[in-house]
Amino acid sequence: MTALRLNISLLVLMLLLFILSLGVGPAELGFRESFHGLFAGGGEAAAIIMRKIRLPRALLGLMIGFTLGLSGAVLQGFLRNPLAEPGIIGVSSTAAFGAVLVFYSGLAGSALYALPAGALMGALIAVIALLALSARGGSTLTLILAGVALSSLSGALTSLVLNLSPNPFAAYEIIFWLLGALKDRSMDHVWIAAPLMVIGGLLIAASARAIDALSLGEEAAASMGIHMPRARLLIVAGVALGVGAATAVAGTIGFIGLVVPHLIRPLTNRMPSALLLPSALGGAALLLASDVAVRVILPAGELNVGVLTALIGAPFFLWLVARARREML
Amino acid sequence: MVRRRKPISFFSGLAIIAGAALAAPVFSDLAEAQPQRVMSLNLCTDQLALALAAPSQLASVSFLAREPVMSPEHEKAKALPINHGRAEEVFLASPDLVVTGTFSLHNTTQLLKKLGFRVEEFGFNQQLEAIPADIRRMGELLERQEEAERLAAAFEDELSSARQQLCGPAPTMLIYDQNGVSPGAGTLAHSVMEAAGFRNLAAEQGLNGVGPFPLEAVIESRPDVIVTSSATGNAPTLGEMVPRHPALKTLPDTLIGDFIPDGTLSCASPATILAVRALVELRRRIAPCRREREAQ
Repeated sequence: MTALRLNISLLVLMLLLFILSLGVGPAELGFRESFHGLFAGGGEAAAIIMRKIRLPRALLGLMIGFTLGLSGAVLQGFLRNPLAEPGIIGVSSTAAFGAVLVFYSGLAGSALYALPAGALMGALIAVIALLALSARGGSTLTLILAGVALSSLSGALTSLVLNLSPNPFAAYEIIFWLLGALKDRSMDHVWIAAPLMVIGGLLIAASARAIDALSLGEEAAASMGIHMPRARLLIVAGVALGVGAATAVAGTIGFIGLVVPHLIRPLTNRMPSALLLPSALGGAALLLASDVAVRVILPAGELNVGVLTALIGAPFFLWLVARARREML
Repeated sequence: MVRRRKPISFFSGLAIIAGAALAAPVFSDLAEAQPQRVMSLNLCTDQLALALAAPSQLASVSFLAREPVMSPEHEKAKALPINHGRAEEVFLASPDLVVTGTFSLHNTTQLLKKLGFRVEEFGFNQQLEAIPADIRRMGELLERQEEAERLAAAFEDELSSARQQLCGPAPTMLIYDQNGVSPGAGTLAHSVMEAAGFRNLAAEQGLNGVGPFPLEAVIESRPDVIVTSSATGNAPTLGEMVPRHPALKTLPDTLIGDFIPDGTLSCASPATILAVRALVELRRRIAPCRREREAQ
């Protein structure tokens, strides 16, 4: 019952922030005017702005936040590591490098689908490498250190590829890939990302029983009839699809998957599977709120939303590290 | 104790270079006659030099001069050696005249002057009216006064005839570039739009210099014409998707296209008149004056 109440209140919060996100932008439309534009259609400026610019942006904020929150929760449960998160363990930055490599090489012309194709490959390689590392009895620290190495390496390679591009404007896009943004997206971006995220989310949902059993240890899980290789495959594919698609359209947006599960865990019965949906809803709410904030702070120039999530998330990460250290002593 | 080798300090290094550069005045003696080995280190001086110089008068131009997207004189530049604006390159080529911009490579310019090279700097010009003076000055420097006078006079004629044709209410225009950036007041693009009889929406919305123009504001201000650049370069970027955002295509009364020839606005150069010409023709087509309508 409390789980239901938690989910409903987070859903309401998410929907309110979604509506708020639709209402914020450099064009000062009144609230009534904007929602009239959204539903009435036509060639009115308000209708074009709402349907072609703000709606895709709000949808992407919702979808990406949802995916990142979900991925953070499942990784923390599966790896039994409170610091696991797609950004920190290097999955997001590797996905960004994959997207950059395929798109800026011009192999696919300037086709949009080059972005998710490259990003999925990058994310997949990162998740498999990290699982291989943590499978051999690695500690919490091993995974985080491997993530640091992976993030730095792919960040450097991203910068390298963009600097080597024959197009002099490409180098300006380094910041987008390192600190993502949702500015000036269109419905095309929604359509290329949404199906991948839906499939990724379903795969992760299918692994819910396995991560609950895993909280009792791998042997106990196996004795409960959990097929570990299958669970691992579900999570690898689910996270790679979700984070790959998110990064392909919005660059690297960090810390959503770290902060949200920690904030929500005390409100649940602490079973890893009970955390999945609330974290996803909370992730969507946090990213929507951050994206509203960047538009309010700097209306014209606009801050990258990845800057804001890092400003919130990095101190939080430090606090978690300090707390973990205290508990170890 | 560890024996330390005395490093060659920056200043003693400079002294060595300066010593070797004593040969330089030999070249500057030739400055009285027509300079025969001219090096241009800046895209904008490249344009002036390429337009005016005699064949074989230019030793090299900047590497950007070969980029079709930025350099209207890229065909001529392909036949010439290129430089990357470094002092070492100048030193090795030992030109008798170096032309460059005041905004670019300031340290290089200072160093070259100290080394005794003859360096002529051109200011960063953002006004159409000042282009003929730049052309004449480059003509003086290259001892090509006749060519310069012909080119400058033709430029002035075409500019004043464009201004005489202005009439009626001016259509609005927005130049929308990579990443949603527009040139506002005080830019070369602004003076070109004005000369051709367009109102620059970015300047009217308070933009000074080149700056971001939010996509939503483009939709709201409903320009009569949006100029995007065809210049995609030879590799894709995400920034070039912004001027092609689907929202812009739904504006019912807006004409969108790459109406300005590549590179004609990247520098105030003789080729900038081509941008004026293209926009004058566009203005005649979409908002003809009465006398033009009667002529049709």
